[in-house]
Amino acid sequence: MQIYLPIAEIPVNILLILLLGLTTGFLAGMFGIGGGFIATPLLMFIGIPPAIAVSTSTNQIIASSVSGVFAHFRKSSVDIKMGLVLVIGGFIGSTLGVSIFKILQKTGHIDLVVALTYVIFLGTISVTMLIDSIKTLVEKKYGVTWEKNENGNLDKFLAKIDRLPWKSHFPKSDINVSLIVPIVLSIGIGILVALMGVGGGFLMIPAMIYILRMPSSVVVGTSLFQIVFIASNATFLQAVTNNTVDIVLAFLMIISSSIGAQIGTRTGYKVDADSMRSFLSLLLLGVCVKMLFVLFKHPESLYVIEILK
Amino acid sequence: MMKKIFLTFLLLISASFAANAAPIISGISTNEINIDTKFRGAKILLFGAKDDAGEIVITVRGPKRNFMVTKKHKLLGVWYNGERVKFKDTYSLYSLFSTFNAQEPIDDLLKELELGRNNLNFSTSSEIDEVKKNEFQLQLVDRMEKNHLYNTSSNKIDFLNETLFKVMLDFPKNISRGIYTVEIYLINEGSLVSFQSIPIYVNQVGFSAKVLDFAFQQSFLYALLSVAIALIFGWLANYLFARFLGK
Repeated sequence: MQIYLPIAEIPVNILLILLLGLTTGFLAGMFGIGGGFIATPLLMFIGIPPAIAVSTSTNQIIASSVSGVFAHFRKSSVDIKMGLVLVIGGFIGSTLGVSIFKILQKTGHIDLVVALTYVIFLGTISVTMLIDSIKTLVEKKYGVTWEKNENGNLDKFLAKIDRLPWKSHFPKSDINVSLIVPIVLSIGIGILVALMGVGGGFLMIPAMIYILRMPSSVVVGTSLFQIVFIASNATFLQAVTNNTVDIVLAFLMIISSSIGAQIGTRTGYKVDADSMRSFLSLLLLGVCVKMLFVLFKHPESLYVIEILK
Repeated sequence: MMKKIFLTFLLLISASFAANAAPIISGISTNEINIDTKFRGAKILLFGAKDDAGEIVITVRGPKRNFMVTKKHKLLGVWYNGERVKFKDTYSLYSLFSTFNAQEPIDDLLKELELGRNNLNFSTSSEIDEVKKNEFQLQLVDRMEKNHLYNTSSNKIDFLNETLFKVMLDFPKNISRGIYTVEIYLINEGSLVSFQSIPIYVNQVGFSAKVLDFAFQQSFLYALLSVAIALIFGWLANYLFARFLGK
């Protein structure tokens, strides 16, 4: 069953999109991530122009994050103060990101930059996760313990951070941290939100744990909380400045991924976390490799012709 | 249906001939094309009668658009977009029919009227050297021909007898909306004897056209709506699942 996407200007199979949304939502719910970094590349693979895939994913991420954050509110696992500080930086970052996006779209480099950013981030994260989860699996099975890294560099870095001014107390997380740290972090991640069509949870969560040193109980909820705002800002700006949000595609993705996310969350409780983590890392690695092929593939024609709007 | 239209036209044309002795007169089967989601292209029949010596040239020209032609380059195995040339005010569709035997003759008049592949005017947004312009222009025309949007190789005009002729005008599925013009020229020994222009309105209709208009003309509202839908459905999904399936 085909449906014509008004902004992407191509027909797509409705069932394929619904399946894609369901899968993304399922994985998102299971791992507590926004799912953007799975949805965006998948949309590109089925032929949606990269610029539209990125912006439309951002739209879908709002839905899955809202859905998630309400669940966390009920469990009262959201550090609202930290969330709001991250929102400030995230607004600056995502606004900056949308402007960079516009410049790249004008000069014709957007597709390359999106693909490269994906390869770099997915590559790094999937390999790190894969090594980590294999280690854990081996530890569990054979009882071997690996030498723990001293993390000397991280400690030195954290000590430097602790000396920064404008310290503030965050009661919910019970931490004292300079406001500069979360703001700088969220600016950086905000740029990626706009460029990659992701929520940025996969970067924000490790940053909260290792750099901000927040308790893990509030990390996912707080991350989702700020993603709602950042993704809303990015979607809004993409639609206004770049006209790249396809509302029909977004709607199909929103419906299917919301359902998928709810099923995923419930499945996630029952499945062994370590094997799921290695599965996720393999999936990400697969997407990364596919992206690499796109970069190196000989183009059908050496010349690209487009009608300017 | 077509036959009926054809007969009506014949009647009309002969009637017009009696009334005033125009050297060339013609008409088309419809001057409106509606693009909806099921649009797969359209054909329009053009009839005419010529009552004077000379060559007939018929063109169909689509609304002018700006085109960007980008050349791909390779760096360390990775393909990226290199030079770009922007062509301003270029026909989005161009097809040519004529009674010329082979290639259209080189002629100032043809150049002026942009009749024929070599007579088309291309202007770039910035000054670039001729060699580069030609390279990119050739690619543009080639691609437009491949996409059936350009048809510059002087298609034949069907003559039913000495004076009556007909041509099937082809509008492929990838045409854009706007006002198209069908122009019929009668040229004798380098001068224009007769000229007629018929507009064809290509409209986008249906839901997707409305969405597209909405997105571009009221992007602020469109953006708000996109965000609102996501917020509402995200919340709704959570609420419904929590209510009916438990947490």
